[in-house]
Amino acid sequence: MSGNFEVIGSRAPRKDAPNKSTGKARYIEDIKFPGELAGALLQSPQAHAKIKRIDISRAQALPGVVAVITAQDVPDVKYGVSPARYDETLFAVDRVRYVGDEIAAVAAEDLATAQRAVEFIEVEYEPLPVLLTVEQATAEGAPWLHEQFPDNVCAQVEQEFGDVEAAFAGCDLIQEGSFFSKRQDGAFIEPNQCVALMDSDGVLNLHSSTQVPHYVQRTLAMVTGLNMSKVRVVKPYVGGGFGPKASATPIDLAAGFLAMKTGRPVRMAYTREQVFLFSRARHGFTHHMKIGVKKDGTLMALDHRATLDGGAYSSFGIATVYYAGSLLGGPYKLPNMRYHGLRVFTNKPACGAQRGHGGVIARALFEQQMDVIAERLGMDPIELRLKNMMETGDVTCNDLAMSSLGMRECIEAVKNGSGWDQKKGKLPKGKGIGMACGFFVSGAGYPIYRSETYHCTIMIKADEDGGGIVVYTASAEIGQGSETTMAMIAAEAVGIPYEQVRVKSGDTDFGIDLGAYSSRTTLMTGHATKEAGENLKAMILETLAQELEIDQSRLDIKNGLIKISGDPVDFSAIRIGYIKEHRGWQDQPSGDELTFREAARLAYLRRGTLVSTGKYKPPVLGGKYKGAAVGTSPAYGCSAQVAEVSVDFETGQIKVERITDAHDCGQAVNLTSVEAQMQGSVSMGLGEALFEEVKFDGQGRILNPSLGEYHIPTVMDMPETKCIVVESGEPNGPFGAKEVGEGAIMPTIPAILNAVRNATGLVLDETPLTPERVYLAIKKQKGA
Amino acid sequence: MSKQAIILTVNGVARQALVEPNQTLTSLLRDELGLTGTKHGCGVGDCGCCTVILDGETVNSCLVLAMQAQGREVTTIEGLAKGAELHPLQQAFVDAGAIQCGFCTPGMILSAKALLDHTPQPTREEITKGLSGNLCRCTGYEKIVEAVQDAAGKMSEA
Amino acid sequence: MLLPSFDYYRPQSLPEALSLLGEMGEDARPLAGGTDLLVNLKLKKLAPKVLLDLGGLEELKGNRADDGLVSLGALDTASRLASGGPEVPGLLAMGAGALGSPQVRNRATLGGNLVTARPAADICLPLLALGAKAVLAGPNGEREVALDGYFKGPGYTVKEAGEILTRVILDAPRPGVGGGYQKLGLRQAMEIALVNVAAHLELEDDGKTVALARVALGAVAPFPMLSPGAASALIGKPAQETCFSEAAEAAAAEARPIDDHRGSAAYRRDMVRTLTLRALRQALSQAQGNQEAQA
Ligand SMILES: Cc1cc2nc3c(=O)[nH]c(=O)nc-3n(C[C@H](O)[C@H](O)[C@H](O)COP(=O)(O)OP(=O)(O)OC[C@H]3O[C@@H](n4cnc5c(N)ncnc54)[C@H](O)[C@@H]3O)c2cc1C
Ligand code: FES
Ligand code: FES
Repeated sequence: MSGNFEVIGSRAPRKDAPNKSTGKARYIEDIKFPGELAGALLQSPQAHAKIKRIDISRAQALPGVVAVITAQDVPDVKYGVSPARYDETLFAVDRVRYVGDEIAAVAAEDLATAQRAVEFIEVEYEPLPVLLTVEQATAEGAPWLHEQFPDNVCAQVEQEFGDVEAAFAGCDLIQEGSFFSKRQDGAFIEPNQCVALMDSDGVLNLHSSTQVPHYVQRTLAMVTGLNMSKVRVVKPYVGGGFGPKASATPIDLAAGFLAMKTGRPVRMAYTREQVFLFSRARHGFTHHMKIGVKKDGTLMALDHRATLDGGAYSSFGIATVYYAGSLLGGPYKLPNMRYHGLRVFTNKPACGAQRGHGGVIARALFEQQMDVIAERLGMDPIELRLKNMMETGDVTCNDLAMSSLGMRECIEAVKNGSGWDQKKGKLPKGKGIGMACGFFVSGAGYPIYRSETYHCTIMIKADEDGGGIVVYTASAEIGQGSETTMAMIAAEAVGIPYEQVRVKSGDTDFGIDLGAYSSRTTLMTGHATKEAGENLKAMILETLAQELEIDQSRLDIKNGLIKISGDPVDFSAIRIGYIKEHRGWQDQPSGDELTFREAARLAYLRRGTLVSTGKYKPPVLGGKYKGAAVGTSPAYGCSAQVAEVSVDFETGQIKVERITDAHDCGQAVNLTSVEAQMQGSVSMGLGEALFEEVKFDGQGRILNPSLGEYHIPTVMDMPETKCIVVESGEPNGPFGAKEVGEGAIMPTIPAILNAVRNATGLVLDETPLTPERVYLAIKKQKGA
Repeated sequence: MSKQAIILTVNGVARQALVEPNQTLTSLLRDELGLTGTKHGCGVGDCGCCTVILDGETVNSCLVLAMQAQGREVTTIEGLAKGAELHPLQQAFVDAGAIQCGFCTPGMILSAKALLDHTPQPTREEITKGLSGNLCRCTGYEKIVEAVQDAAGKMSEA
Repeated sequence: MLLPSFDYYRPQSLPEALSLLGEMGEDARPLAGGTDLLVNLKLKKLAPKVLLDLGGLEELKGNRADDGLVSLGALDTASRLASGGPEVPGLLAMGAGALGSPQVRNRATLGGNLVTARPAADICLPLLALGAKAVLAGPNGEREVALDGYFKGPGYTVKEAGEILTRVILDAPRPGVGGGYQKLGLRQAMEIALVNVAAHLELEDDGKTVALARVALGAVAPFPMLSPGAASALIGKPAQETCFSEAAEAAAAEARPIDDHRGSAAYRRDMVRTLTLRALRQALSQAQGNQEAQA
């Protein structure tokens, strides 16, 4: 696909990698302020209880304690992720709803004292019935976790597109299946942490390990009652996020209040156990699907029910429950779809968004059922998929527009790349091969709060000496490589080498950016960066054209050199001027082309500091029905994967031996980063498929809140992963680019499920596929 | 018990520090010596991002007492580059794109270094075994393994 | 994560260590690699007033071979055991190599593993199968305790608070002897076993008949256990599938697993059967291999 690019599509080394490789990169834990206090949280040991009494006097009396705050000390403001579902208070007012619910916070001279003070706070609880499952929470007479949500229903979705019943009546084959998944944890390696301090301008500064400085700023401002301009959020390097870091945490807010109260910087950090308690990660899903097809394999209708065990608060859940339905609209042509979604409150930590938000398990079941349908029809699973695949330009029944869709290319790529034809049906006993497809948004079409706000703004400033440019963006580099991506886009747009671009990011003082979620940054922030870059270029060329007294249309900048079309133009006056200004420098411009350096310097001399801006918000997208916003996006990335597994029939152990992965990212801005996202997605999907499950005891306490007992893949668990990048050229993306960060996880679980089915004949309906689950299923199959 | 003075060699330089009995080696390096490249992800040996090399062997510094480092030699991530020149492993990690969020990177590189010190030409299996105590949630490890292979090749040519 | 406060001593000899331990009684805890102890302190499961670092005790270091027996120091790390060496039986090397991660193996000691006595401990199982004895030094001198009978419960053994485990003693590796080690977990590394099995086989000179056998089972009882039934199904019989299967059945029958969040008792019992069979096959091939190498 690649157009004629100088920088885009290369494997430019990441801007942050050298510092990260030497230990110089600074994360929150590496940034210290003079006079810091240490904060600690009191969290509920009970899953559901009334608070009868809180006594902080002993804690306050402890030497070294500077402040203790509870619900009484902060405004009674509810917050959350979605304004329609604000249901959290920083500290429990009269009730705790999960083990870990926040009750109080302490600031002290050192952490040990703060932690001791927390132990000195006395709380009297009156236990309430603990509701740990959807069944318990929806049973007759179950107490409601929140008065405003009857029957513990957080959200309910009813959607129908087309006429599902009529379509089923005309189908030749109906396939039904269910799936049960478990709650996951984000398991980013850097636990959430923050430092808050008031500066001399009266601005509350919060340095936080977050994916979304802007939303944290808004929440902190709203909860403290400050204006947005009195709250600044800065995000240094962040050790991964994957979704759970996409909203303000109680420590962000508590540190803010404690800093305001004490006038000193306050640092708060979650331990690994507290990361599990805060959670906000993938829900546990239950899905039932009924799919109708014609004899020739044409998909006709889907009836889909999903239930989400949401935990104690809404968090992202309203979006999650919509995504779980809407993301089945594609990538296959599906004229009729009905969705019934239900998210229920339980006395467990709130679930939220995680890579592949809402769609991962729905996709897993659907793709598994596609394989079963193929077998029942006597078709090859790839043939069935290709038969139903949407094409570029198609619109799903729920109004999602596929402005580019390289699904066919992805399928062909993994088919050839894995040796599918040589392997399928020809593998020895115990080995299996399976494939699956998936797609995902390139940025949510709408902000989380209702607003006409731009989703991102960019400022680019040219160095006054013309040596390079600085891109200022409030976007969040959390490891995905967005700083590098923006540097590459800016370099391409301005026409200068990548090395001449510096990026300053992650600071709400730099503008608006909704943050790193929904795989939005490359497309959205990329658009704004491209626009700002083009504007800067235009400013420079305008001045240059005036100076040279030629038409601006004859000028361009490429690779740091000014390209002048038509007759030769004498620019010696500009060069001489530049050289005179820089006597003593050894690297004076030379050669028979004018350089960017000279042109940008000239523009500065004529107009002052050159600052250009860019902005982006998507056009109005999607349909008119209730919930139509969720799932909309200016573009969709898509992928196909083939998994090869071996199954140990005697223990039930599964080993994933190889993954072949193809992803259509529109246009790779940085090829290495695209592959890196694909590989990272595969490992998270593999972990969810085989190992990961947050477990609770009967009192709602987490049984495995550690990275020792909550198992994410180690390097020894990872198969070799072959990545093939497909570039369909997205018309709505900057330089044709769209997402890769989340779409790439979509096929992983079903590809593994289908490979395991190929090896064993088993249609497994519960993840993770632990040895025990697989073994029991094999045993049952033998007995049957 | 009050603080005690200990002497140890850190990245080839003799250092002295006053430490509490209950201070970990992670805290000594980060809080007393300002070597913040050593990261802290769990505190209980599960993640490996606090890995340093102690007398030639990798350890989780969160599970070593500062006092146990008395008289010993510690290499941290800050000790690898020579001035502005990256260690071949660091360069390979940069080149291969083996770094995303970077929080696991210091520990990962030190595990790789200890591996190559003992086994200059490791097989893929030896590499994965050698890095198995360092969790990475971002990369899926593929590019990390490539980086180690690449560095091993370059270091043996040199 | 913070460590609670404690005092730290590093005695330079065993007598010094024992007398400190005697003085301070339950308030003091020996510290070896710290991979269990420091975790337990951080998790607030223990709060000793004093940590006695054993690292300076020469008496607990080094391996010696003598008269058909080997003596391994309590401070031997899992890494050193895993890399083998003439004194280290292959079975022990396999178990030690399966423990944790490289960083943990570089710290974790044999003594710490035996004193912590986790039900699935990767060094305990091989030693139990090898018929090792622990040497416990106390105020009144040393005593030798066979590991069969040493374990009492998770984290609980016959070792008394005032005692230090100095060494273990076991038969030196020799031809015709082989071991098999099987560990089942979710991940390939960093796993506490769901079930693990260590099998030890000694063959008669004929290279076929089982002269002696021990099968140790992990994670299926409150502490690492031997399966006497498995041993008697094997001893005196020709080493082959029939008696291996009987031994595996016996082991499965004798295992005392419970249901917990890591796995059900029924699954664990089935896995004891499978892993015992595999460990025995592995032990046989090792025994025959080194017997042939000798011949
Ligand atoms: C991340 C991680 C993974 C792990 N994985 C495994 C695994 O896969 N398999 C496994 O078996 N274990 C595992 N462990 C547990 C641990 O590493 C082992 O039990 C190890 O052998 C303990 O040895 P240590 O020297 O570190 O003991 P320490 O922590 O120093 O001591 C443990 C206990 O023994 C006492 N003690 C130690 N030495 C002596 C002695 N000589 N005399 C008297 N008392 C003594 C201490 O007082 C303490 O009570 C893991 C631990 C961690 C942190
Ligand atoms: S912080 Fe030391 S291993 Fe995780
Ligand atoms: S790069 Fe983020 S954890 Fe490894």
